[in-house]
Amino acid sequence: MQPTSSMKEEFLQKWQMGLQIYRPLIDNTSVSERRKAIKLSADVAMASLRRGTTCWSRALIQKTATEDNFLVRQMLSGIKAETLINKKLPKVMCHRKIVRRSKKILRRRKSRSAIEEVAAKARKLVKKKTQGLRNVVPGGEFMSNDVLLIQETLDYIVSLQTQVNVMRSIVDAAEAGSERTAYYLGKPKFAIEDG
Amino acid sequence: MDLTGEFEARSYGGGATREATRLESLHLGDEFRQLALPPENAGGFTALLELPPTQAVNLLRFTDSPSSSSQAAAVTGIAPPPLHSYGTLTFPSNSVLMERAARFSTDYHQNGNVSGTSSVPSNSSVKTEPAETDSSQAVNNRSGKRKDSDKKAKSSTKKKRNKSSEENEKLPYVHVRARRGQATDSHSLAERARREKINARMKLLQELVPGCDKIQGTALVLDEIINHVQSLQRQVEMLSMRLASVNPRIDFNLDTILASENGSLMDGSFNGTAMQVVWPHQVTETEQSYHHRQLQQPQQWPFDGLNQRAWGKEEDQDHGQ
Repeated sequence: MQPTSSMKEEFLQKWQMGLQIYRPLIDNTSVSERRKAIKLSADVAMASLRRGTTCWSRALIQKTATEDNFLVRQMLSGIKAETLINKKLPKVMCHRKIVRRSKKILRRRKSRSAIEEVAAKARKLVKKKTQGLRNVVPGGEFMSNDVLLIQETLDYIVSLQTQVNVMRSIVDAAEAGSERTAYYLGKPKFAIEDG
Repeated sequence: MDLTGEFEARSYGGGATREATRLESLHLGDEFRQLALPPENAGGFTALLELPPTQAVNLLRFTDSPSSSSQAAAVTGIAPPPLHSYGTLTFPSNSVLMERAARFSTDYHQNGNVSGTSSVPSNSSVKTEPAETDSSQAVNNRSGKRKDSDKKAKSSTKKKRNKSSEENEKLPYVHVRARRGQATDSHSLAERARREKINARMKLLQELVPGCDKIQGTALVLDEIINHVQSLQRQVEMLSMRLASVNPRIDFNLDTILASENGSLMDGSFNGTAMQVVWPHQVTETEQSYHHRQLQQPQQWPFDGLNQRAWGKEEDQDHGQ
């Protein structure tokens, strides 16, 4: 599926709301701080579109809360902010590591046929890739089964695409506007030249 | 063990939203499916179960109310006991079989559907919802969970029974059919169902990520997906950097210029009804000549205060209406 325009609108509104929070600080900030502000508010806006229904959105909000708690609190309506920020991270990850380690210890060598070996290698590869996917998707380590992981990835990709589309159009407009201004300021005497 | 992790997740998740709890309890359901060992009898009869859907629907509707009361119990302690009441499953009359299977399949199926739709937000502008429901229905059709304990376990996770009940009516029954030459014991059936679920979702992912259709093999597809996600994340970083480095300008004309640019952008990608902007006339002709996007008539594009130009460009615009 592709991002719908209503999703884009909602994202834009929420993002602007977040950026408004940074407004008082504009003049005395560096580029990197502004970038961080933009990115954080965009992330929270994207995650808040899902209203806490997906694992990745909650994890993303928690991550940005560690960087800028105030922003997150302001951007989300009161109740949600409290529950989402104060939740402890699940401890599933620790258990999985322990399980994996104990499995390795207990594993006994079986006689393997050639086919089995190939299949085992393929499975190992897939496991490695899913671990890689968990690293990329926010909150991936806390998704206990693959089905959930893939569902979350689907939703996350769609949301990312929305975010990218909206940001790209804003950025293009802003840059075009700034070129324009430079043009105007550079040649004040000339009338506007039409193409 | 994973299970204890799940319990902890559930306990802290109590304060979270409904959907959150439901999602977490869904993994719990999954874990139960894989870990709770039903008696061999259960595996046997459900493998041979072939029930025409219409009949199952009737059974479902019939058994729905009595079963719902029993399902209100908590997850943890409930799993084994119901099983014992059906100790000797030696293929009693068909109706009893079907009734029991129908009841259990309701639970599973609702859970399956709920899991299919729960990860999708309820504001459902997300189009994967129909696709996912379809795929999960397809998966549920072919594979089945008839483990009694699992069903009982999952039953308590359904907080939105009423909501998903209508979806159940479309797809009333889940049963597994043992294919020729395949093992029919509970473990492999569970494995098979799980694998089919995963494959269905992987197909959706393949459609979403460009260029994944041609690729054969799970590992390579996963590779592509990871690359795609990483590239999207990098794009976000890049765009935020570009936006931050747009020079702040204090120019009275600028917000109008930007508004016009965004007006044209909106009509391409948004439906623009929710936004407000002031559109000064003298700017319009100039904008039209400059646009790299096609601009239709300068309309009153509502736009809700382009605040991202907050870096010093403009004065406040009206937010909202």
